Amino acid sequence: MNPFIENPIFLYATGLLVALLLLLGFLRFISLLRTQRTYQHSIVDLINAELPQTQCGHCSYAGCLPYARAIAQGEAINKCAPGGTQTIRRLSWLLNEQREPLDPAHGSLSPATVAVIREEECIGCTKCIQACPVDAISGATKLMHTVIAAECTGCDLCVDPCPVDCIDMIEVQQPPRQWPSPGPNELVPC
Amino acid sequence: MNSSSSPFQFAKLKTRQLMLLVLAAASPAVLMHTWFFGYGMLLNIALAAVIGLSSEAVCLWLQNKPIKVALSDYSALVTALLFAVTIPPGTAWWLIAMGMVFAIALVKHAYGGLGHNVFNPAMAGYLFLLLAFPLSMTAWHLPQAAVTPASDHSPLSWTGFIESLSFVFPIIQNQTIDIDGLAMATPLIEYKMAGQNAVLEAYREGLPLFSRSSGTGWELVNMAYLIGGLFLLSLRIISWHIPVAIIASVLMMSLLFYSDGGSSVNGTPYLHLFGSATMIGAFFIATDPVSAATSNPARIVYGIIIGCSIYGIRVWGSYLDSIAIAVLFANFCAPMLDHFFRPRIFGQVRWSPLRGQTSHE
Amino acid sequence: MAISWAKRACPVLGFGKRGVKLGAIKPPPHKLESLRSRIMPTPLPERLVLSLQQHQGDASIPCVEVGDKVLKFQAIAEANSESSLNLHAPTSGTILSVDQSLVFSDSMTPEACIVLECDGADNALKVSTTRDYRALEHEHLLQRIEEAGVCGMGGAGYPTALKLRHGISKNIDLLLINAAECEPYISCDEALLRERAKEVIQGAEIIQAACLANSCQLVIESNMNEAIDALRSEITGSSVQLKIVAPSYPAGDERQIVFAATGRETPSSGLPIDIGVVVVNAGTAAACLHAVSKGQPCISRVVTLAGSPLRTPKNFDVPIGTPISHLQTLCGMDEQSHQGTLAGGSLMGQPVLNLDLPIKKTSNCVVAMSAQEFPAQEPVLPCIRCGYCADACPAHLLPQQLLVFSKQQAVEALEDHGLFDCIECGACAYVCPSKIPLLQYYRSSKELMLLEAGVTARSSHWQQRFQYFQYRRKRVNQQRAEGKQSASDNSQQVEQEFSRDKAREEIAAAVARVKSKKSKNQAS
Repeated sequence: MNPFIENPIFLYATGLLVALLLLLGFLRFISLLRTQRTYQHSIVDLINAELPQTQCGHCSYAGCLPYARAIAQGEAINKCAPGGTQTIRRLSWLLNEQREPLDPAHGSLSPATVAVIREEECIGCTKCIQACPVDAISGATKLMHTVIAAECTGCDLCVDPCPVDCIDMIEVQQPPRQWPSPGPNELVPC
Repeated sequence: MNSSSSPFQFAKLKTRQLMLLVLAAASPAVLMHTWFFGYGMLLNIALAAVIGLSSEAVCLWLQNKPIKVALSDYSALVTALLFAVTIPPGTAWWLIAMGMVFAIALVKHAYGGLGHNVFNPAMAGYLFLLLAFPLSMTAWHLPQAAVTPASDHSPLSWTGFIESLSFVFPIIQNQTIDIDGLAMATPLIEYKMAGQNAVLEAYREGLPLFSRSSGTGWELVNMAYLIGGLFLLSLRIISWHIPVAIIASVLMMSLLFYSDGGSSVNGTPYLHLFGSATMIGAFFIATDPVSAATSNPARIVYGIIIGCSIYGIRVWGSYLDSIAIAVLFANFCAPMLDHFFRPRIFGQVRWSPLRGQTSHE
Repeated sequence: MAISWAKRACPVLGFGKRGVKLGAIKPPPHKLESLRSRIMPTPLPERLVLSLQQHQGDASIPCVEVGDKVLKFQAIAEANSESSLNLHAPTSGTILSVDQSLVFSDSMTPEACIVLECDGADNALKVSTTRDYRALEHEHLLQRIEEAGVCGMGGAGYPTALKLRHGISKNIDLLLINAAECEPYISCDEALLRERAKEVIQGAEIIQAACLANSCQLVIESNMNEAIDALRSEITGSSVQLKIVAPSYPAGDERQIVFAATGRETPSSGLPIDIGVVVVNAGTAAACLHAVSKGQPCISRVVTLAGSPLRTPKNFDVPIGTPISHLQTLCGMDEQSHQGTLAGGSLMGQPVLNLDLPIKKTSNCVVAMSAQEFPAQEPVLPCIRCGYCADACPAHLLPQQLLVFSKQQAVEALEDHGLFDCIECGACAYVCPSKIPLLQYYRSSKELMLLEAGVTARSSHWQQRFQYFQYRRKRVNQQRAEGKQSASDNSQQVEQEFSRDKAREEIAAAVARVKSKKSKNQAS
């Protein structure tokens, strides 16, 4: 028998190590349980959940899901103009990537818009209806069309097909925040 | 009215008053210190306060923060007091300055100032000095009168004051005092060797308890901290969770490992509670709210960690007293404790570390 | 002894299910000033302004026209849906307007109001009285309460009849009459109980009969001595029990009072009726009595006028629609020390920016603020994590942690730490030694989280529609391909081609028309 093993110090140390390992294992177990739901999603779903789902195609992909797939393959995260800085920030958190400004090739930061058809000029060609990715335009051939404002994502895909240019993109009136953050008023900045 | 939404009525207690109450609660212990160890403690405090306040002012000025508002919360004074009573009386001024600047500039303001420091500034400053100047931090320079009562003057006399001053400012050193002869080891060591408590001893031998030669100094200082701590508790300035957990776990550990007459003398529970710095640690240092755990369940665990570490480091470690190390060690754990130990929210089904998954009905 | 200590220690450690001691604060009550005098009747103002939105829920629809003469108790607006209330004229007079728009501080959105010019005669419509309400069926009682337009008078103003109906459908067993008026300055319930204890107790019996509750408790704070004495002398022989709780803020909150009286804990995302309790305010009980036995609709309520700028703060019996400025003038307002006015108490009240705003059915108190009682805000210092807020929090949250996460806008952590269990009582901000506007941070974060939840809901809705769009396009393409295959003879195709050409021509013609129209417009 190795006299070292008989030394009680060895027993103490081994016991302490085992206890520590058990503790760490327990903590890891808890944190695994906490994040379990996240693991059930694929990375594409997670990325897609951060995209604004306007389906505008400004990122040069046909819709948000294809762009999410592309990001999962390593595409840049700064191509979503409707999502703006908020989406880029959240994507950079999610993917642990560098936060970059919006790529100007794919649009600029602008407030949310909805499409509005100048109805007296509409000739009823249904081209915009076919272009709309979320079926937010109602109307029929040779009859006036109109945009259901509540469903419109503001993707402006209907603007180009219109032969008479009777579609305007107008800004959505955002209601003012009732409770602004008191942060800037603090006297001692933290 | 300045605020545009409710509430409009506020309690009167402000941070400043809170800090002042902590200072007031510590004052009996400071007086006790002075009674037993001479003016050195008061000099320590005064010097640490001046250096602490000025280095805080400089730090605020460098960061373009409003100096007057931040200085008037008196948190630097509390740090200075706790730092000054932990280092030996009669520590040289440049050591105090180094410790305080380390505490305020590096430990407090480099982390973002009041409310953002991860570690207890006073304890970090003390530990810095302990690691860099171990000898100076364990040798207690006392005025001659406090050590040998046979000398013809009291340590609270003018001569005693000059003696203490000469330790703090070695430039004005009085040649008649033999410094080496006055350096004494920290009381814990002596008690550790003796294994008995001084109050009983002094009582048995008929010594007056408050005389400086009775050897009862540390116990009575600890009593004073206990009284100050109870004062803070009664005002609800601090919550009972941390002190009770620390004292209970130190008591438990010292009872568990107490071996009377065995080969390894670990000290009596009495020694661990009153013969060392446990009381100031439990009531004044570990309860520093900024670096401690913040929810009540977490505070209990935080206190247990500190209590066990205090005992473990004291008995099996190589440091003499271990409040600073134990508190800093628990500071490391505090964010994790806050994360895992939260009270059950009223109306949610059960307490669970897996909150967010199961607790909503 | 040891067991009770263990019982108290367990929940603190976070393990207990029951027996939690809730956080609370004890702010100075400031109630004695307004309780010195009895409840005073209000001299009628020149005109009354009655909002169509007296409460939470849908607005009522006016049933009078401009110029109509109305009598006291006459209905002037009718309920629009089940969460809406009838509204009655508090006095006789002429309708001046039915859609004057006013912005109230509790909703910040313009509300339509009926303006009634009082003629001073106070001619009342004849109302049918009931001798013995005990003989009435519960459905009949509910109908009476509903017709009288009674809503909760504690603050939120949920229609009482609707609340009781919900209670019946959930088989509640206990009715709590909430007289624990915990907020500083408000004393209207205490004054009501002191002087009209009998009305409240009879009202409680009516409500108990209406909602089929087995028992009824009247919960009152132990420092309301005169009210307790009055209740004790009236309560004998009735089915109502008196339950005295310790005075603290926010003891009068629904969840807190249910817990204090019964030990039952309202689930996080539920209401007291989910655990078999209906909570009704004491003032509401009195209004129900008037509605049932006297047949009088809810046209007035007791309102506390408080604050040091008022020479004689007191409680008034106020007709709904009386402007605040009229009441303050009656109390002798000192304009110089007056710094602003609050609707409600000092901890949950809202600032009144326009003193011409009228009293609603839900207004319980109007506080005139002075610089002495409401000093300017202290400089905000950093949080030192002292945890006083956590000790004060009645929902057992960790406000100090919520503050950190609010600053970081860490939405998930906020939800995890139970931000939506916050009842916005303001106890945390009250005790904070650093004077941090905690509640403002939480409200802001809640709003942000609701906005983000809205954005998420919208984008998932868009995603669904896009998926359906893709599915449909795929199906149409498939069908087309199949159609082409089956009709491989080209006759159809030619026709199609032909029609497509025709369509193109038509489009071109239409484009030309529009262009000419446009150019004409530009020319003109």
